Amino acid sequence: MHLIDVGPRSGQEPTAPASAIEVIGLERRYGDFHAVRGISFEVHPGEVFALLGVNGAGKTSALEVLEGLAPPSGGSVRILGHDPHSERAAVRRYLGVQLQHSGLPGDLTVQETVHTWARTLTDPRPVGEALEQVDLSGRTDVRVRSLSGGERRRLDLALALLGRPRVLVLDEPTTGLDPESRRVVWGIVRGLVRGGAAVVLTTHHLEEAEELADRIAIMRAGLIVASGTPHEISAAQPATIRFTLPEGAPPLPQLPGVRVEHVATEVELSTFALQSTLTQLLAWAAEHGLELMALQARAASLEQAFLAVADGSLPTAA
Amino acid sequence: MTMTRPAIERPSPAHPGSGGSARRRVLALAAAETRLLLRNRTAVASSVLLPVAMVAAVGAIAVSNGGTVDGPGLIASAIGVTLTYVAFYNLVTTFVARREELVLQRMRTGELTDAEVLLGTAVPTLLVTVVQVVLVAVGVAVLGEWSAPVDVVLPLVALLGGGASMVVLAAVSTSFTRTVEAAQFTTLPLVLTATLLSGLLIPLTDLPEQVAHVARFFPLTPVVELSRLGLVGKTWNGQAVDTAGAWAASPLALAVLAGWLVGGALLARLVFRWAPRR
Repeated sequence: MHLIDVGPRSGQEPTAPASAIEVIGLERRYGDFHAVRGISFEVHPGEVFALLGVNGAGKTSALEVLEGLAPPSGGSVRILGHDPHSERAAVRRYLGVQLQHSGLPGDLTVQETVHTWARTLTDPRPVGEALEQVDLSGRTDVRVRSLSGGERRRLDLALALLGRPRVLVLDEPTTGLDPESRRVVWGIVRGLVRGGAAVVLTTHHLEEAEELADRIAIMRAGLIVASGTPHEISAAQPATIRFTLPEGAPPLPQLPGVRVEHVATEVELSTFALQSTLTQLLAWAAEHGLELMALQARAASLEQAFLAVADGSLPTAA
Repeated sequence: MTMTRPAIERPSPAHPGSGGSARRRVLALAAAETRLLLRNRTAVASSVLLPVAMVAAVGAIAVSNGGTVDGPGLIASAIGVTLTYVAFYNLVTTFVARREELVLQRMRTGELTDAEVLLGTAVPTLLVTVVQVVLVAVGVAVLGEWSAPVDVVLPLVALLGGGASMVVLAAVSTSFTRTVEAAQFTTLPLVLTATLLSGLLIPLTDLPEQVAHVARFFPLTPVVELSRLGLVGKTWNGQAVDTAGAWAASPLALAVLAGWLVGGALLARLVFRWAPRR
């Protein structure tokens, strides 16, 4: 009997890895309230996707469908190719979830809590290793009710990571953490992603999204209003140049494509071509022998982009 | 904090995991819930004291009347009383407490299925119920009032089927119980019908006949009926039966018990809430 090899040649990498999370036209309604109005995105293995938005934008409602806690009102979600709600058994083993709010019985110790959770998982990591990773090794015999808010949050993360998940859904994983713990969580997330996990997270810390996320989507009122890499999203907003004009300066030169705001001697220029606008401005100042006081030039930050699209004006591009 | 490097795959050491077994998942949760129960001294004390007090009170009344204790009848009553006052009430408060403290929602993010979460949470209460019935039986034996039951299967079916139906009916009751305190009122419909119309405290033969016929369809009645058939050898309307007669008299009670179990489970699936109202 001859077997004919019709598969890909060994060593040949697939061109595009299958997505670990695929969300198409996802909707969620509560009665008349339309919390999520049709959003789509995908997350590949080895990628961090951040969902941003003000409170009430629909992030948690969307994540609840990814977590398998609720069916979608419309559209579809696939985790590793399966519906996390109706095919929960196929998905749960590979899915790690940290809810924004969740509880633990207060009268179990940290060790007992993690051990109990481990016993419910098919292939858990060693309990000691999981506690060490989130720096709770010294708190194993403490009852959960005596933990600080940050410690509980880290315990939540330890539980989410205990089953060696290939897909992680983290709803505000660093809320309530001190800056040092937050960096540790970033390190853990990066490590997981290097190991091939796909991560979706929400956060209110824009520098966290900038630091961690390969791609970002900003939600507003149930819709994704901007998406892309952190750089692409901030590049959709103009850079700004600020300075104070000295007394008796001549009028500013014509700067095409630049928005000028002039209040008394304070000037703010908004431009999508920071370098060329700045060059023209400095050339003009040199020509007239002017010193521009308190001169600042900065590219748009993610925060600026977020504020521009998350509540209020429409995105200018992207 | 230590940064642990992630992906060094070790040959899987002996770990406490479930290996994908539903039974081991439920046991894990049940063990944790049992530990929590044992840490609650009040709950432990009242669980032991209730059956002891019940035997002592009934024994004392019987002795002071110069009469004899109906030992098997007392065990049958113990099954009904513990299922209603202990199991049902505790299950409602436990489910509501775990829901309000967001523990149920967390459990659902793991590998436990919904039914496994409820079962694991209910196991300690069900164990306490069984232990209490056993304690009453031991007490009856100590008082020298034990007599061999007519049939053992029917009372066991009553205890286990009754326990299971208490789990699903408690799950249904949590849907209209917003706080642990509210359980004092929301459990009343079942507790009152069980107390007054199940044959537990008032024999069905003492009720008007039409009422008695209707009462046989209430959730706890078949439990009391099957327990008395097996332990005392008496039907709901007071006729003495042997083993064959007990089984011959059991179909309606078995069907009613099964009906509440299945109906309760279906209704629980529809109305059970896993998280507090937002």
